[in-house]
Amino acid sequence: MKINVHSLAFKQSVTVLVSISIVFALLFGIGGFQINEKLSQMLLQKGEEISRANVALINNLFSSGKSFGEELAVKVGTQNLSGKELDDFLLRSLSGVRATVPQVVTVVAAFEPGKAPGKVEGDYMRLAYYSKGESSIIEGGDYQEAPWYKSTKDSLKGRWQDPFAGQFIKEQIVIYTAPIFRTGEAEQKDFVGVLCVGISIANLKDAIASIPISSSGYAVVLSADNTIIAHPKNELTFKSNFASISRSASHKRLVEFENAVDQMKHGLFLGSSVDGEDAAIYFTAMESINWKFLIVWPAKTFMEEQRSVGHMFAFISLCGYIILFIIVLLMIRRISLPLRAIAAAADKIGHGEFSAEIPVVSGDDEISQLATAFEDMRHSLCNYFETEKSLDRVKRDLDFSRGLQLGLLPKDESEENTADNRHALAPLLLPAEDIGGDFYDFFKLDDDRLAIVIADVSGKGVPATLLMMVSRIVIRTLAAHLNSVSDIFNETNYELARRNKDNLFVSMWMGILNLKTGHVDYVSAGHRPPIIHHKDCSVEFIKCKPNLAMAVMEETKYTQESLTLAPGDTLFLYTDGIIEAENMDGEPFGKFELLKVLSECCENEPTEICKFVNEHLDRYVGHARQMDDIAMLAVRYDGDRSNNG
Amino acid sequence: MQIAKTQQGGTLTIALDGRLDSLTSPQLESEIQGKLDGVAHLVMDLEKLAYISSAGLRVMLVAQKIMSKQGDLVLKKVGQEVREIFDVTGFSDILTIE
Repeated sequence: MKINVHSLAFKQSVTVLVSISIVFALLFGIGGFQINEKLSQMLLQKGEEISRANVALINNLFSSGKSFGEELAVKVGTQNLSGKELDDFLLRSLSGVRATVPQVVTVVAAFEPGKAPGKVEGDYMRLAYYSKGESSIIEGGDYQEAPWYKSTKDSLKGRWQDPFAGQFIKEQIVIYTAPIFRTGEAEQKDFVGVLCVGISIANLKDAIASIPISSSGYAVVLSADNTIIAHPKNELTFKSNFASISRSASHKRLVEFENAVDQMKHGLFLGSSVDGEDAAIYFTAMESINWKFLIVWPAKTFMEEQRSVGHMFAFISLCGYIILFIIVLLMIRRISLPLRAIAAAADKIGHGEFSAEIPVVSGDDEISQLATAFEDMRHSLCNYFETEKSLDRVKRDLDFSRGLQLGLLPKDESEENTADNRHALAPLLLPAEDIGGDFYDFFKLDDDRLAIVIADVSGKGVPATLLMMVSRIVIRTLAAHLNSVSDIFNETNYELARRNKDNLFVSMWMGILNLKTGHVDYVSAGHRPPIIHHKDCSVEFIKCKPNLAMAVMEETKYTQESLTLAPGDTLFLYTDGIIEAENMDGEPFGKFELLKVLSECCENEPTEICKFVNEHLDRYVGHARQMDDIAMLAVRYDGDRSNNG
Repeated sequence: MQIAKTQQGGTLTIALDGRLDSLTSPQLESEIQGKLDGVAHLVMDLEKLAYISSAGLRVMLVAQKIMSKQGDLVLKKVGQEVREIFDVTGFSDILTIE
């Protein structure tokens, strides 16, 4: 299907798609924003959940360690054990603590030089150490300058030290140091040494590393100065500082982070992980030890989830687009295909081709209504033009007939070669709109005999004209070899009647005028009687026996009559059209009016007489329509001078 | 032109009101052609017939021809002008006029 960019289908589809794109974009934008929010919230929640338990655990651990340490310090200070007793005491204490806090791996007592119990001179440090299932005592020394000793001595308070790998304890530990006091003789508290309780980091590390956190998150524990205590990547611990390896982390960010931790104690921070990548970090500050418990979600993986959601969304949108596009196209096809068909059909109809059908459109909507209405219109037009065509044909036939009628009838005597000095003759034919069958005829039978005919074929149209032509021919033919008018009429009538299926008939008056004598033999077959106009302008109807019109019954016999014209007499023949011509009021002219008009006519020339009558008729009729053919034939007999001796 | 038909048994009466000319003759002819089965007497009431033309005469002729085979045709109450037309055309001789 060719895409026409101006087509309704295309434009609508594009409009719909653009609108949908805007809606999708909005949805996407808002949705995306919402998703981000939700994810953050989710992380927050998860972070909280996971952290809480673990942090609580760690807190517990260190609280226990701390209280144990304090307790021991007091005991050592008061009991003043020395030598082997001290060793045993340390070992017993260790196993005792381990019963509840198995992470404790060492108990250490380190004394001020000379202040150790048993009056030992110099350094005295004893470590009870549990390793590989066994507890043992290790002798230690060289601790005076060790940070853990010094800081405790200076502050005279118990505290957790930063984790380190011990000199004598060959693993990473975190120790709680508590000062040992001995009450002197004067009841004063003398600082005599430091008691340490050491917790193995290893267990802690493993435990923390194995916390399952979805979305590729992992747990990290940082000490007070951001030393990594536990990290999934074991190699990082204790060696790296959180800040130092964060390549993209600026000092500012770190300060921000520190501030966040201080202020909120727990929350979500978007910064960078130790790998230098962007990450979301849920941090919890641990009260007991001033460490931080972090759950890190590297942005990449965490974003990946978001991205995959985004991808899925985009994919669904794309599918949605395509489906919508197809649906819209289909819908619009329903509109534009019929419209196109209608337009094409209308074009054809405009060129006169009514055969262009349009496909039936099912349904009840505006398009099917339009299609139905259009189809109805096409049918109507088709029929109308068919009718017009046939009407046109009828008109053409009528025009043809009229042409024949007017052409056939002789206009004057010169056409028929009948003129001579014994008579004058003039016809006048006024055909009506609807062609009729009036005719006149005049011809010489021989030198001295002139035949004159006037006739009126019933009905209108082509059949009447044809009958008129046939009648004229038959009359002429028969007149050539039959002598009397009645014979001529009998024969003619027979011929016309026997083939007259349409029941047409002809009224006719025929007379044979003897130009020598003025004698006229005539027959009237259902025709109006002619009028004689004498030289002195007197007029009268000829007496005619009203024989039946011709072509009605084959066996009709016609009775001939005769009269004699005096020189100067004019015979006026006419058809019904004159008598029945109506004026504006619908009143017919009538035969008496015709008689009157002729009596007023003092013209002698037949042409003038006809003109005279016509003018009067015109005036009478006015603007009324001429319903019937009008034919007149005026013949004036002048007599044969050669006769008058 | 108004045509009123009344039938009583085998007698059909057709009353004409108006003019019987080339425009109205087809109307009368359609009431006659093929519609005269079983009619023995066809009566034309021409009291209100104002005028008859050759076309009208033709329809009368048709009716006459049909009825001459199965019964008769009678024209009644013929007005003077219409009568004259019948006379002039000689139709008075072939139509039964009362």
